[in-house]
Amino acid sequence: MHVDYLKELKQNNAGRAGLITLVLILFLVLIGPVLSTHSPTEHSVATLEPPSAVHWLGTNDVGQDVLSRLLAGARTSLLVAAGTAFLSVSLGAMVGIISALAGGITDRILMRFTDAILTIPAVVVIIMIAAYIRPGVFNLIIILSALGWPVGARVIRAQALTLKERLHIYAARSFGGGMLQILFHHMIPDLTPVLCVSFIQGARRAVFMEAGLAFVGVVDPNLISWGVMLRHALEYCYLDAYKWWLLPTGFALSVTILAFTLLGYCLEELTDPRLRRWDNA
Amino acid sequence: MVSNYLIAFVIIISLNFTLPRLMPGNPLQAIYGEEALIAMTPELKQQLTERFALESSLWEQLQSYLLNLAKGDLGYSYYYNAPVSEVILGALPWTMLLVGSALVLSTLLGVVLGIESGWRRGKGSDKVLLTGLVMLNGFPDFFLGMLLLLIFGISLNVLPLSGAISPYAGLTGPALVLDVLTHLLLPLTALTLAGVTGSFLLTRNTMIGVLRAPFILTARAKGLSPRVIRYRHAGRNSMLPVVTRAGVMAGRMATGVLFVEMVFSYPGLGHLVHSALAARDYPVLQGVLFVITVSVLSINLLTDLLYSKLDPRVSYAR
Repeated sequence: MHVDYLKELKQNNAGRAGLITLVLILFLVLIGPVLSTHSPTEHSVATLEPPSAVHWLGTNDVGQDVLSRLLAGARTSLLVAAGTAFLSVSLGAMVGIISALAGGITDRILMRFTDAILTIPAVVVIIMIAAYIRPGVFNLIIILSALGWPVGARVIRAQALTLKERLHIYAARSFGGGMLQILFHHMIPDLTPVLCVSFIQGARRAVFMEAGLAFVGVVDPNLISWGVMLRHALEYCYLDAYKWWLLPTGFALSVTILAFTLLGYCLEELTDPRLRRWDNA
Repeated sequence: MVSNYLIAFVIIISLNFTLPRLMPGNPLQAIYGEEALIAMTPELKQQLTERFALESSLWEQLQSYLLNLAKGDLGYSYYYNAPVSEVILGALPWTMLLVGSALVLSTLLGVVLGIESGWRRGKGSDKVLLTGLVMLNGFPDFFLGMLLLLIFGISLNVLPLSGAISPYAGLTGPALVLDVLTHLLLPLTALTLAGVTGSFLLTRNTMIGVLRAPFILTARAKGLSPRVIRYRHAGRNSMLPVVTRAGVMAGRMATGVLFVEMVFSYPGLGHLVHSALAARDYPVLQGVLFVITVSVLSINLLTDLLYSKLDPRVSYAR
């Protein structure tokens, strides 16, 4: 009955690639302050310089060290991703589990609301909200989560509904286990795989949206972000600077999104029995 | 089902109404932006304050807001010096052209590749296609656009960098069509590539399921050629979910096109958002985003309704 997810994850090529890449990015973010010899915001007169021993990835239009900004941007991306994923999964889990356990009218009202938010084109609405409040990291997490939780809520509710009918939950209830006891000792542990999938997919969406919003130019102007870097680099795309400024930034962003995608696909395949490759064809 | 969309619509309207009024300072400043406010004469300010009923209660403000909206009045842009609805109508055809052709192209490409890939499941070409398209999906649409721009527009210098037509060229007839097409090519490719993975994965998954169905065995036993089985029997049935997901795809494209247009300065709605942000032209910004949201909601509602008409099981399932 029980599947050793970690072991299977290690055996899955896509999952392994995604996991290793993410760990690598995380490592770079952690040692970033040591690695970057320049402050990411420090201006200098050496503008648009090609890569050299001093500036490994050259400098941008106002003489800032591109590598330092790239590392600082990674920190922003991962911070927003982790924060948004955590907040929206928590919200989604709360709504999903309450909906599944309560049933009846509570379920109907919560799911109606969830479906309504799912139909809203999130990117457009988020651009509009962000245009007014110009969010930094904290507000970005709040806005992205406010529109991001329904996806998880639906999946978690479906899973919680089947769990509710399982024998061990019945057994726990017949022994007099209260609502909270059942929730924390039996439901949440069994929901962990689904929560993980929601977390990774939420993180992936957040990385993409944060970069998108920054590219559009609706975030806090002081935020150091890959999207902001791409936006500025595009203005200088007719110069050679794109080779060390635009391309590394874009590829860093793509690789991060890809790592989350691969890990997400793989986890989904492991946790959804319908997608498990039982016939290995 | 319709109520989902109604609730969504109410959420959007309330956001549109409250956001500018929640901002600190003069709401007129939040609605019109600082620069416009400085340029305004006191009479104009008075007139606008009356028009938005800004000195009356919130309830009356809401009433006048809804009344204006119902009349199709999205406000007035001081940047373009024209009604917002007029500005939007001017940009809309370009976006429709881009989204429409990208939707058709990416769906067609995705379906054909999905059928071929599902048919060859587990073989080399399937693995290459699957890996390649999943990798492609990792690239955000605006970075794909930038890559195309750098390769074809700057390095090779074979295609135009921005815009939708060559300015002041005075082209007519076939030359004009060709000019529009060469300008369309790069943004269209970016948007198509960004959308192709969705329909590919969906077709491939369905194809794999359909190929296990008994009627495929029958078709094989009848001695039909593999091509006929692949397209007329299996492929046709694998297309259904893609068609029903066209609404979702259209929604995703409607947001993707914003980013792509910004990269290529393509004069559609995305470019409008871009310049409205730069000029702090909030009426246009709100108007464009409102129009996009409402269109996406209507398209999704329409496909939902159509789907339950075509496949009655959907409405029974609820």
